[in-house]
Amino acid sequence: MTNRLAFVLFLLLAVPGAVFAGEAAAPAPADAAKSLSVKTFQFKHKAADKATAVIKSLMSSEGSISIQPSTNAVVVTDRSENMKAIAAALEKFDTPAQAFKLSVRVFAASRAEGTGRTPDELRDVAPTLAMLRYNSFESLGSAVVDGHEGESGIVDLNTGYRADFRFGDYDPATDSVQVSDFKVSRLQGDQLTPLLKKTTMNLKLGQVVVLGAASKPQDARALMIIIAAKR
Amino acid sequence: MITCEAFREHFTPATEDAAVLEHIRSCDVCLNFAAEIDADVLFRAIGGSEMVPPGGVDAFVDDVMRAVRIRGTENSVATNVLNWPRKLALAATVALAIAGATFMTAHRPAPAAPQIAAVRHHVFPTSKAAARPVIENYDSERATIVEVPTAGEDVKVVMVFDESLPADL
Repeated sequence: MTNRLAFVLFLLLAVPGAVFAGEAAAPAPADAAKSLSVKTFQFKHKAADKATAVIKSLMSSEGSISIQPSTNAVVVTDRSENMKAIAAALEKFDTPAQAFKLSVRVFAASRAEGTGRTPDELRDVAPTLAMLRYNSFESLGSAVVDGHEGESGIVDLNTGYRADFRFGDYDPATDSVQVSDFKVSRLQGDQLTPLLKKTTMNLKLGQVVVLGAASKPQDARALMIIIAAKR
Repeated sequence: MITCEAFREHFTPATEDAAVLEHIRSCDVCLNFAAEIDADVLFRAIGGSEMVPPGGVDAFVDDVMRAVRIRGTENSVATNVLNWPRKLALAATVALAIAGATFMTAHRPAPAAPQIAAVRHHVFPTSKAAARPVIENYDSERATIVEVPTAGEDVKVVMVFDESLPADL
């Protein structure tokens, strides 16, 4: 009886002891995850300084980024638990420049007495345009331009209207491409009159953006630019 | 043997009268009467004061003391045998309590703030993506940009009102 009791008590003491010995030998997973780790990412296709925008939101308050322009790399210091997501985001980021098509349609919009006039080219956005105060649309031209990330493009319409832009970076998180320095001008004689100043847009692929420009909200006329980016 | 009346006449405390003591040995009623007056009367009546144990008083005392020592040793051994499991059980209980407390502390869930921070890190890119504006920048300080709410995500409508633009657009 006494021996059995002693054996049971020995087990009660020995088992927790063994458990703690094991825990002491290996660091706890939570502590390991919280420890900071350092990793260098070198890019083949994208500029390293643009990588900060990609991973900024993924990093903890303890994290830091160091850009090395000479090697086109970034050195990221952050918690080990975050490093996996950061590496995945940077891997997606560093892809070859992607090709896109930008379709641009330009219309002069006005308010007209009666039912107004909406050309067939606007059939896809007609229900949306009905929300606006304009009911008459006149086509000023359209064009589709191909380009890659980082390339500039020009949409030169026969009617004297012209659009300049530059394809920016593709954002896989939102499946959108940035179109920067987008401006619309009208050629009058030898001079270009700006109708829409430099604009930076985020165009989700496949989404149609109706961009209206007017001097004041109560103006009877406006310039309507319908833009869509596709692969 | 004297009568009960004679006993009660002659009985005195601490009496050594043989006739009186003899009467007590055979009469319970008088014994009770006498015991109330002298509690040792029965002891004297049966000759207790003259009794000697076998081997003499010294031998008897030695036997008694030996028995006392043996009983004391047995009690001591018995006490020790019962005590070490109790001590071990107490040690095990304390060890288990300490081990349990340490174990719970080591495996306590992470504090709320880091958890929230971790969730925020995962959620933030999505919400940021959803909140990304169509017009991120427009090169005029006098412009008002209005994103018109639409029913779906297929078509977005944004109006730019810029007083620096010509009125005859």
